[in-house]
Amino acid sequence: MRPLRCLSVKRLLLYFLLGVVLIHVFIGWRLQSATALGKKPVAISGQQNSSKEGKERTDPAQKELFRFDESRVSMACTYTVVVYGTDPKQLPLIVNAAFEEIDRIDQLMSNYNPDSPLSQINREAAKHPVVVEPELFDFIQLCLKYSQESDGAFDITVGPLMKSWGFYRGEGRIPWFFEIWNVMRKVGYQRLILDPHERTIQFSVSGMELDLGGIAKGYAVDRVITLLKEYGIQTGFVSAGGSTIYGLGAPPNRDGWEIRIRDPLAPNDTNKNGGTVHLKNRCLSVAGNYEKFFKVRGTTYSHIMDPHTGYPVQGMLSVTVLTDSGVEGDAIDDVLYVLGVEKSKAYLEKHLGIEAFFYLPDGDKQWKMVNLKN
Amino acid sequence: MPESQQSKGLSRRDFLKTSAVASATAAVAALGAPALINSQTLQDPVIYGFIGAGRQGNFHLKKLSVNRMGRCAVICDIYPPNLEQGVKTIGSNPDKELQDYRRVLDRKDIEAVFIVTPYHLHVPMVLDALSAGKHVFVEKVMMKEEDQIPRVYEAAQAHPNQVLQVGLQRRYSAIYNVAIQMVHNGALGKVQFIRAQWHRNGSWKNPIKDPAFDRILNWRLYREYSGGLMAELGSHQVDVADWAYQSEPISVMGVGGLDYWKDDRDIYDNVSVIFEYSEGRKFVFTSICNNASLDFSETIMGDEGTIEITLGLNSAKATFYPEQKAPDAPTNLVKTANVQEQNWWAGATVKNRGRKIGVPILPNAPSKNPSFIEKEIMYARKWLTEMGVLEVEKDRDAIAVEEEHFFHCIREGKKPISNIDIGAADSRSVIFANRAMDMKQKVFWPGKAEVPASSSEPKKV
Repeated sequence: MRPLRCLSVKRLLLYFLLGVVLIHVFIGWRLQSATALGKKPVAISGQQNSSKEGKERTDPAQKELFRFDESRVSMACTYTVVVYGTDPKQLPLIVNAAFEEIDRIDQLMSNYNPDSPLSQINREAAKHPVVVEPELFDFIQLCLKYSQESDGAFDITVGPLMKSWGFYRGEGRIPWFFEIWNVMRKVGYQRLILDPHERTIQFSVSGMELDLGGIAKGYAVDRVITLLKEYGIQTGFVSAGGSTIYGLGAPPNRDGWEIRIRDPLAPNDTNKNGGTVHLKNRCLSVAGNYEKFFKVRGTTYSHIMDPHTGYPVQGMLSVTVLTDSGVEGDAIDDVLYVLGVEKSKAYLEKHLGIEAFFYLPDGDKQWKMVNLKN
Repeated sequence: MPESQQSKGLSRRDFLKTSAVASATAAVAALGAPALINSQTLQDPVIYGFIGAGRQGNFHLKKLSVNRMGRCAVICDIYPPNLEQGVKTIGSNPDKELQDYRRVLDRKDIEAVFIVTPYHLHVPMVLDALSAGKHVFVEKVMMKEEDQIPRVYEAAQAHPNQVLQVGLQRRYSAIYNVAIQMVHNGALGKVQFIRAQWHRNGSWKNPIKDPAFDRILNWRLYREYSGGLMAELGSHQVDVADWAYQSEPISVMGVGGLDYWKDDRDIYDNVSVIFEYSEGRKFVFTSICNNASLDFSETIMGDEGTIEITLGLNSAKATFYPEQKAPDAPTNLVKTANVQEQNWWAGATVKNRGRKIGVPILPNAPSKNPSFIEKEIMYARKWLTEMGVLEVEKDRDAIAVEEEHFFHCIREGKKPISNIDIGAADSRSVIFANRAMDMKQKVFWPGKAEVPASSSEPKKV
């Protein structure tokens, strides 16, 4: 090919115009592909090439598979639901029903919503036993079970503590020692009085509050998975703000849903990660100090409280757990975060089927990972 | 008072003058005092059966699960997943009935039934339940066809000791009661226009687990079972208009279309309806399914003020906007020359232009003639609410209140607020509105066609 300087002006212009046309065609194709995803079910070709040796072409009798996904904000985070199925008209309706279920749980369990049944308990349970609807009562009983098994490392009564550290207002503050001592008198799952026969809850101390924020997302994820299964969905994905993720089945031609764990020191840097896991009918839950925190004189204070001391947990960057359900994951990631690596070993010996990844600070701006599995 | 002092809100004097016309005493008495107090446990809870555990049914069961005035003995639904969900929701381990609601009615231990089934089943089930000697709570709309109205009246008159209540829950909201009292007591001046909308953005379609149940689970989309948007949504709001105007409409006209959700449904996906009442009063209702920005609310407009009110998801909210009547308004009287008011102020003033100042309506307004202390407390509460120091008091959940009221009426032998007369009036509005849209003609209430539609035609002097 002749050097450019030897080409005529006409030829240069021709090459330039050809390049512009090719670029437009390419951009148009990419845009069309992008808009096809997410709003209408997308057909997945029935004739997929498998990377596995010996796999024949997809059975022609197999129905065409469609994919639909949508994201919406609820419970102060972005939920994403992805489903695969053979009926393109049903998929958007199923996903819509899933988001309605998430909103329903938010209305039931939110302590930011003054009209929720949980807020009613917080308002009245110190004055008299409050009759609680079955779903919420059963859920609170389940939370107490996690508290008992972890000797209080997981505790839904830490609300007053989080408020005293300023996390509800989003500002962050360091309370005085005596303030913490005073607030700790209102913290403790043992101070709850539950009557299963009457289905009532009462606070033995005035000023107590229930906060289900640490586990409600996991419950919502579980309810969505149950709903998807009821509608015959075998392949799907539900994420609650990235902190609780369930992979139902596996995407076509994959062994599982590939999830990259955020680098605990650079959680927003997509070029870094703390490892990769694959989910297939498993849940991943993360408790990290980078979710809600404030810094004072170089020390990071995260929203994850140690219910025994009244102070935010120190010395831990994040904990990721793999479990069978969102509720279990959300409870146990907090438990292990509070317990730390050594005490977690004893806990995990009694709770099988859980894998945990502890991310600990290691020198200046470095981290190390400890993996525990039983 | 210098106008500059009014820049932040209503003057204390005007606020008290406005609020004094709302009498909560009458409202409380009308609802039955125990119903407004926190839910009590009756010594002798009402044993009831629940028929229809779908979406709305589960909503009721959720409230009933914490209501100790009644106990659910049996739940009935022909769709197994709904039945199972209903049992989980109520939590009292009731019996299950999958086949036939009449088996529920045959039970001697059942005193009352909740009927929360598709619209077309309301009247047949109500008639059977009354015949079986049960007290009946039926979800709105009570009647689907015009010829059903006298049949239900006949059955109710044959069983006068049985409670028959329709699920129009706004009638049980304390804030709605206060707001309507304000209308009746003249706080808004002459009210001639009410507007309401119920706008959603969605197909109204449920996903299906079993194709055999498609039409049953999506019954709201088919005229065979449903009265469409006017029945499912508008019935609540036309009842508010009837309540405010203290009468039924005399005519209705409207336009409905199936213009966006073009699937296999045969109901309209958008309706625009105008009801005409006596003395030229109007109620305008719209409902659409492809935009939810206006959500649902009612706006009651008089020549001296406006009330915007909504039931919301859990508790009602209402705001009152007082307004200056036009100086030449027909209701203004020119004073005779020997009566003069002298109230002139000197000095520069600043006026807020175009700023709408609203007064939140609280669920427990004072008595009709509040004492000095009552007035001061009321004004202080209003000021603290506007400052954001005091939260606006919450109305109790109207559905929970209507359920309590139902049990209360059964035990006390009282007629419910939302009774057959209100249910029948509401049914007529829905039936005639749908008819007007289908026929593309104005429809008159029986006996009203000869009455001029509007009495506001200019009269010759």
